[in-house]
Amino acid sequence: MMMEETKKQDNFLQLKDITTTFGSIVALNNVNFSVKKGEVVCLIGPSGCGKSTLLRTANWLTPPDKGTVSLDGVLVGSESNKNMNLNEMKVLNGIRARMGMVFQQFNVWPHLDALENVVRAQLVVAKRSREEAEKKATKMLFDVGLGEKIHDWPDNLSGGQKQRLGIARALAMDPVLMLLDEPTSALDPELVSEVLNVLKRLANEGMTMIIVTHELGFASQVADRVAFMEDGKIIEEGPPNVILKSPKTQRLRLFLDKLNITSFTPS
Amino acid sequence: MALDFSIFVEYGPRLLMGFWLTIKIVIAAIILGMPWGLVLALGRRSRFLIPRLAATSFVEIFRNTPFIIQVFLFFYVLPFYGIRFPAEYVGTLALAAFGSAYFAEIIRGGIDAVSKGQLESARAIGMSDWQAMKNIVLPQTLSIILPPLTNQTLSLIKESAILSTITVNELTMSGIRVQGEIFRPFEVFIMVALLYWGFNESIAFLMRKIERKANKARTSNQNIAGKTTSISRGASR
Repeated sequence: MMMEETKKQDNFLQLKDITTTFGSIVALNNVNFSVKKGEVVCLIGPSGCGKSTLLRTANWLTPPDKGTVSLDGVLVGSESNKNMNLNEMKVLNGIRARMGMVFQQFNVWPHLDALENVVRAQLVVAKRSREEAEKKATKMLFDVGLGEKIHDWPDNLSGGQKQRLGIARALAMDPVLMLLDEPTSALDPELVSEVLNVLKRLANEGMTMIIVTHELGFASQVADRVAFMEDGKIIEEGPPNVILKSPKTQRLRLFLDKLNITSFTPS
Repeated sequence: MALDFSIFVEYGPRLLMGFWLTIKIVIAAIILGMPWGLVLALGRRSRFLIPRLAATSFVEIFRNTPFIIQVFLFFYVLPFYGIRFPAEYVGTLALAAFGSAYFAEIIRGGIDAVSKGQLESARAIGMSDWQAMKNIVLPQTLSIILPPLTNQTLSLIKESAILSTITVNELTMSGIRVQGEIFRPFEVFIMVALLYWGFNESIAFLMRKIERKANKARTSNQNIAGKTTSISRGASR
């Protein structure tokens, strides 16, 4: 492989010198973070550590005060164009369409049935024909196990089904990158696995993913890399078996200890 | 005093003419005022300062001054700038402007009531602000804003009586004129009131039907499940 190509692949998604503040709170403190194509990265850390903010920086949903984001060499946003004009907005919308986002609260659209949830953005954003969009949507819904539910209303779906609908909606746009913000945190425990199974399949298919999660078991199975954040900084990162088994920093050790205690189940 | 309703054989048609004009004015004011109200509501949430300021000023001025003063200003001031319309047109315009300020606030409230995640998920998938509004947010506001929209429409019908002060020969004005000729205030104004009441009831009936239709779409095959999810949705965040 050519040297330059390797470099580009290494920085498929690149977040550079990101600083984000909300009032007096520093959510991200000069963070540098990049993701390779095909890599699955799990972000872990205590709540309020900035992991969701980092994820939302990637598609410029939460523009930072400082720093730049680029995807595959194309600028997503930088602090200089914080007040975007309509043209820049259009470019950003095009990039966002290729970054699938999945939310903790699902955010499926309750006024549209399952099929239409997956169809709508294909029509409006990707400008596909209705026929093409419905075909694609049906396939996506089958792939996430909602083949029987294509004409159901979101209000009639369980949490796990809603989340899988949210995933199908994102996948229908042919994303090159998936951003998942605590995809299982709002689910009842018995529904978590059905969502994680879909994500495992995606990881196996080579989808590039950034996943904010508290499911360490899941992270150790699918992640190529785990990044631990605290106080708006990435404290430690590396392969899951290194990071989760033998943490270098005291802070990560404490964090893992806490999670292990809460997830302890007597035999 | 004995009521004599036989006067309406002769004078009824004049009241009905006035009534017809009232209907036309109100419907025109709604057709103009609602889309303009939507524009104002979107203007108030614009990320650009000028549309935000313009929309806010418009709403605040028309919401916080008496309608009768607005009507006088439209009627007496516009001609100074060479803008001359028949009184009915000026009255319709004034009513539309007044109504739109309220419609704008109702629509804005509806938009705010839709959870923020809805707009976010639409933006995250690549929709522009307007596409997200049109496809995702506004359809969800419909069932929220219909009841207050009905209220505002009914009050607009009643406010239209004020247009009698600028010589518009609508229902109230026709009543005043007929009573001036035959001195039967009881019969005339009872009839005028009945006509307004009938108009309002019909509009209210119509809106209730639309409301039911708007709600039906999503509630037809949802019952308890729908209720629990809307509660948990409210509790989250």
